[in-house]
Amino acid sequence: MEVLDSLLLGFSVALRPDVLFYAFVGCLVGTLVGMLPGIGPLAGVSILLPLTFGLDPTKAIVMLAGIYYGSQYGGSTTSILLRIPGEAASVMTCIDGNAMARKGRAGAALCIAAVGSFIAGTFGVIMLTLIAPPLANFALRFGPPEYTALLVLGLIFLAYMSTSSLPRTLLMAAFGLMLGTIGIDVMSGHFRFSFDIPELGDGIGIVPVAVGLFGLGEILSTPSRNVKTNVVSPKLRELLPTRTEWRQSTWPIARGSVLGFFIGIIPGSAHIISSFVSYALERRLSKHPEEFGKGAVAGVAGPESANNSASTGAFVPMLALGIPTGPVIAVLMAALLIHGIPPGPTLVNDHPKLFWGFVASMYVGNLMLLALNLPLVGAFVSVLRIPYAYLYPMIIMFCVIGVYQVNNSIVDVWIMLIMGVVGYGLKKFNFDPAPLVLGLVIAPIFEMSLRQSLIMSGGNWHIFLQRPIALVLLLICVVLLGLAIYGAVIARRDWRAKLAAAEAGE
Amino acid sequence: MTASFKGEQLMDRRQFVAGSAAAAATLTVQPSFGQDAYPSRPVTLINPFPPGGAVDVVARPLASVLEPIIKQPAVIETKAGAAGAVGAQFAANAKPDGYTMLMHIVSISGFAEVDKLFGRQPKFTRDAFIPIARFIADPMVLVVNDQQPYKSLKDLIDDAKKNPDKLIFSSSGLYGALHLPIALFNKAAGIQMKHLPTNGGGPALTAILGNNSQVLVSSIAAASAQMKAGKLRPLACFGDKRAPAVPDVPTLKELGYNIEFYLWVGLFAPKGTPDNVVAFWRDASKKAASAEQFVAAMKNLGQDVAYQDQPEFKAFWDADAKRVESAVQSIGKVEG
Amino acid sequence: MSGPGKSAAILRADHIAGGVFIALGIAVFILGWNLPFGRLSAPGAGMLPKLTAGLLILFAVIIVATGAASEKLSQLPWSDWIHAALVTGITAAAVSLYTTLGFLITMSLLIFTLLVLVERKNIVGSAAYAAALTLFAYWLFAIALKAPLERGLLWF
Repeated sequence: MEVLDSLLLGFSVALRPDVLFYAFVGCLVGTLVGMLPGIGPLAGVSILLPLTFGLDPTKAIVMLAGIYYGSQYGGSTTSILLRIPGEAASVMTCIDGNAMARKGRAGAALCIAAVGSFIAGTFGVIMLTLIAPPLANFALRFGPPEYTALLVLGLIFLAYMSTSSLPRTLLMAAFGLMLGTIGIDVMSGHFRFSFDIPELGDGIGIVPVAVGLFGLGEILSTPSRNVKTNVVSPKLRELLPTRTEWRQSTWPIARGSVLGFFIGIIPGSAHIISSFVSYALERRLSKHPEEFGKGAVAGVAGPESANNSASTGAFVPMLALGIPTGPVIAVLMAALLIHGIPPGPTLVNDHPKLFWGFVASMYVGNLMLLALNLPLVGAFVSVLRIPYAYLYPMIIMFCVIGVYQVNNSIVDVWIMLIMGVVGYGLKKFNFDPAPLVLGLVIAPIFEMSLRQSLIMSGGNWHIFLQRPIALVLLLICVVLLGLAIYGAVIARRDWRAKLAAAEAGE
Repeated sequence: MTASFKGEQLMDRRQFVAGSAAAAATLTVQPSFGQDAYPSRPVTLINPFPPGGAVDVVARPLASVLEPIIKQPAVIETKAGAAGAVGAQFAANAKPDGYTMLMHIVSISGFAEVDKLFGRQPKFTRDAFIPIARFIADPMVLVVNDQQPYKSLKDLIDDAKKNPDKLIFSSSGLYGALHLPIALFNKAAGIQMKHLPTNGGGPALTAILGNNSQVLVSSIAAASAQMKAGKLRPLACFGDKRAPAVPDVPTLKELGYNIEFYLWVGLFAPKGTPDNVVAFWRDASKKAASAEQFVAAMKNLGQDVAYQDQPEFKAFWDADAKRVESAVQSIGKVEG
Repeated sequence: MSGPGKSAAILRADHIAGGVFIALGIAVFILGWNLPFGRLSAPGAGMLPKLTAGLLILFAVIIVATGAASEKLSQLPWSDWIHAALVTGITAAAVSLYTTLGFLITMSLLIFTLLVLVERKNIVGSAAYAAALTLFAYWLFAIALKAPLERGLLWF
């Protein structure tokens, strides 16, 4: 077994005490960075990059990668406890994770998130070990037409995403797509709806919108007199998920891991989409879709696993081909370059110790993160014992600095504040902001890949049918739409009754 | 008032700790209120591109060698947006006191020209900045996907002339650093190719690796791993002489096209910065550019330090800006 | 938004919400009128904005049309608006001062004002809490993460 030998070599590197130490530092910083809003993995990795100049490349990459996947663990914490999504991938965790926290199940949500992340992360590394090179070549075949088809699939999943009625969900999605068109048009250089504010040139950021809609919007509609501080029982057993909760999260974790990994290897910002798709999928498959949004365990387990697995999957194209799948991976690549190791097709053969040591360190790192995060659950949960009147000013402070630190842009903070007010209004009129965020994420990538495809084909739409991967994805879309129409025909009889029930429900 | 008082104490400690982390050897404890000597507090280097981008990979190693030289922390602040325009505009409007400096690349010369093209009032021009020093200048290289038959630039041009708009080139974005040089080349060679804009150097590289585009003009450093692995075939180089990293690749000048184009990174100060501060930075840049650690880091990135002090850099920049402006004009306003 | 509330008792929540979105969609059409729509084979800069604005209006019309079943406007719970307005106002003030005054001053003032003005907490305790919290956050970002927060006035 060649892989086994290589892996043994890897572990002989990864288990050296000094390498172990740097992996631990990376995971620790990553957890911290993931928890604090604003300092995302991107900033965290690039800030600590200079500190690695004195280290040998293996230790450097092990530590920096630890920050990256460690932050995916930490990201769920603020989402669940405070409803602040640290980054776009945590938006879905906010919804049901925070709803669970309100029911006094914060500990359970955190545990499930940590364990789900661990399983997904480990699954991702196993896949990385076994099939990285062939997979990477597959990922390269994802050009603009394939991407367009994937996003159409994402748009169709939108319909399953929300508990509100279909017109309301689609309205929010259209609103999000519309916000996503703000900024310079990459194809023609036109400024769109940017009102002479250069910061709007790159469009509205996802973090300010998500933090505003979810974090601030919630605070605005929750005066402290309405909150009875739920003194969380310190008993260990109540911090842990119950047997039912474990059972409900098994399959979502499994599905999230697989889904996340394959979406993660696609170059682009696909990893953000993985958590949305996982959420929609779980809701579609669930026997109790009405629980979603009100603290469904699967709504935490699926997306959390998906985004962790995706973050591991994102390493595949970098290690095997030397191309970055996203901004954080680009920084990690730069780190390797600065250390004189060009990542690319020749990496495995030229630097086997580094490559396999790095892979092995991810097995160890995931274990470390689990050991680091589970005992902290109790400590994190006690944050909720701070009386709400003192807690929410703190949340506002973290929202402001978190959003500001991403780009050092005060415009972003204004956007967050405006979105907070919008979120308040949406809540009053029973709209669900989640589809809005997905629309915002999808709009720029969708528009770009669609127009890129048409440039490639000279304006011929057949390009979507001529490329096999795109065709398969579009066929899946057709099948899904067909199922939805079939379902609608079946349910037509009590359609009005159902609508009324849905409207009256919330 | 207690908060602000405590704040000041804390800040002194921060200076101390941040400084000592990077510059333990040269650290002298700063007197808290001795503000006469410049710099008396941390300086900010504006990085107008996302982390990991062209400026970031130079600025981070640079900052870490600068700190012992200027005896203050050098903080890199990312102000990314609008392909580098947001950061440049921020620096142009910053107080010219030497505490806010800008690192920027070749595309800094193009913004005003693009604004003119669209009939917009330019938000800043080149005059808003004082050039201090250039650190690297990596010539661009024209590469094709290895599945394409072209073995020489002539093959490519002949085919492109026979089949205009058949080949596709990818770029980092409209009017971006990877778009301008190929626009110059297309014009000089009299050929037409379709443009596939993406949102960065990485995606542009991904597109050509997946054969979704066939031609790319990239910096040598960014494409070197792929060229070594044989996935990309270099056909011509945009330097004035052959690049040591790819000695077999002819320059465009050798092939009869008078085109030069470099991906360079330089340091700028906002207009109005006092002369003594400018002199201080010229001196500090010179020392930093020859620091062993910085040279090694650049070497690993696949390039040599191409340091230029203010006078040469200014002359270089003026000539470079002419190239950039003519490239923007040759692209013109894109329909649609 | 506040205009028609009193006179029309039959006005429902969805009518207002839908109306706002229809207005927004129309506004996007007006603002983006000059953006070229392009052709189907070569979409222009204006295609997606106009398409999404059109969809927005379409769904908003559906919501208005089926809005008869929604709550009456007067039944919407508005009791929290004072809290929301105060918090928004105070935060807006803090945001506009943030870059000039810097993190420590602005954020401790923000927390202090929220506690004293909105929550009616005692002044000394609020001041202590605000100072401690901001100093801790400052320490965390500046020293542990080497990502200093906005300095503002404190350096001059």
